[in-house]
Amino acid sequence: MPVRLLAAALLAVALPAVAIPGAAEAESIGRGSDRAAHYCANCHGADGRSQQEGIPSLAGQQAEFVTLQMILFREGIRQVPAMNQFAQGLTDRDIEDLAAYYASLRPGPPDDRGPRDAALFERGRVLSARMNCGVCHLPDYRGRNQVPRLTGQREEFLARTMAEYRDGLRSGADPQMNGAVAGVADADLAALAHYLAQLE
Amino acid sequence: MLRHSIAAGLLAATLALPAFAQAPAAPVPGWAVGRPEGSTLAPHAPRLTVTPLDQVPVAALRLPAGFSAEVYAHGMPGVRTMTEGPNGTIFAGTRVIGRVYAITRNADGTTRTRVVAQGLTQPNGVVMVGNDLYVFAVNRVLRYANIEANLDNVPAPEELTAAYGLPTEQQHGGNHHWKFTTLGPDGRIYTNIGVNCNVCTFDRDVFATLLSFNPDGSGRRIEARGVRNSVGMAHHPLTRELWATNHGRDWAGDDTPDDTLIRVRRTGEDHGFPYCVGNWADPQYNAGRNCGEFQQPAALLGPHTAALGMRFYTGTMFPEQYRNQIFLARRGSWNRSRLTGFDVLVAHLDAQGNVTRLEEFMTGLRDDANQRFLGRPVDVHVMRDGALLVSDEQMGAVYRITYRR
Repeated sequence: MPVRLLAAALLAVALPAVAIPGAAEAESIGRGSDRAAHYCANCHGADGRSQQEGIPSLAGQQAEFVTLQMILFREGIRQVPAMNQFAQGLTDRDIEDLAAYYASLRPGPPDDRGPRDAALFERGRVLSARMNCGVCHLPDYRGRNQVPRLTGQREEFLARTMAEYRDGLRSGADPQMNGAVAGVADADLAALAHYLAQLE
Repeated sequence: MLRHSIAAGLLAATLALPAFAQAPAAPVPGWAVGRPEGSTLAPHAPRLTVTPLDQVPVAALRLPAGFSAEVYAHGMPGVRTMTEGPNGTIFAGTRVIGRVYAITRNADGTTRTRVVAQGLTQPNGVVMVGNDLYVFAVNRVLRYANIEANLDNVPAPEELTAAYGLPTEQQHGGNHHWKFTTLGPDGRIYTNIGVNCNVCTFDRDVFATLLSFNPDGSGRRIEARGVRNSVGMAHHPLTRELWATNHGRDWAGDDTPDDTLIRVRRTGEDHGFPYCVGNWADPQYNAGRNCGEFQQPAALLGPHTAALGMRFYTGTMFPEQYRNQIFLARRGSWNRSRLTGFDVLVAHLDAQGNVTRLEEFMTGLRDDANQRFLGRPVDVHVMRDGALLVSDEQMGAVYRITYRR
């Protein structure tokens, strides 16, 4: 009996549980596009692909993830001074517009992405499989809802972000990431970041 | 069998690690123990932006005959635990959004909401002691003196953090560090320290406990051990016994273990985590213990249902059969193939305090056919007029349930 239950759990695919009506409406995207051009593109890239070290790409990012992070910046819960400043005074709708806009863009790597290191890539692939990153981020790492897309992201940003979760400097909507990277060595985070950044 | 298949899974995962990983392999994180490969279960996304009133699903709520629900207050993303001031202000804590809300009633019966604290880490514990609001944000304890007289200009709180000495976010490893708080009939503040993992070996005198303190933080006492993560508790209005809801661990199958309702008969008694939940032995952490040596739950509340806020019904508005019975909110499952919970139950007790029946009281937020949910009830509160408030964290709203013969 328990084995059957476990098998059922293995087969189960969780469906997105909450539908947010109109999240990707063209109007919202349009407003987000205007605001992004003035306030965000300078660092995050005109097409949402960051060409600056340490600055994340946002193209194709999950709208709910962007919204959550912007709320955390606005409320001063997540401390990144530049972002706390930009988020000040934004309304919920402003934030949802930005999120809809960035979610509508096509994800892709930065122009300066380095070549693939086959050994490091393989090490990252194995680690990712062992750590079950694909359970939450989905097997193709496109993310869903509040769980971010990982593909197309800048490598150094991925490595730093995982270290921040590991070191308790950052937390999400829940502590899943803090638990998932607890005690993972820098070298392993580097391999994971390289693997994920090299995926299309 | 279950134990074997999980052990085999762990072994396979270990063998899959190639030799080049010279650094000591990271231990399987506590939250991931037993996580089936290939599963895509993950916590549901919160909604931290305002839900417009016309999207608040009050019309979907289903109640027994004679009861009706209305939106008492809305526009409060993440609203969770509730406590009431002497003048009738409802104070509500949150988790991720870091705010404490105050809800007051206008002369025309409508309500007004304010943010009275913000930027806190998981301020889920809110409790009134006289005229003072105590806010528990992980290990931080803040006292807002005479709060209802200062809603528009909240003065800086008194910091009681050192006096309470609760474990920090880092000591929790970010796990189960949010608090529920309630004032006991003895004038002490009762709270919880959740376990610092999903399931693991831990200091059982610190984590997975229910505690009480004098309001100034002195006189720490362990009320119960082996309570994995309680985020709801209340004292029986007649027997004064402490009752609490408790969450079972994740990743042990769709139907095990149950969340539980526990009754603390003697101070310090042991409820079994991580070894057992009732007569269910943990597949990885039983450690050869006989489940019979631990306190048995007063009721099983369903697997992964996330039973949270609970109150004894002490009003007179509802029919007599609800007097001194337990209303409890189930926020709803994520670690399960099919959704469970997303409702409010009543645990009916007999004269000896045995649970005789669980009644589904407020339903309609779980859409079984489409496997989605419309809202997530977190706490209940009995108002002085006998109406029952239910907070919906997902929708940022508070419902008010009334009865008319």
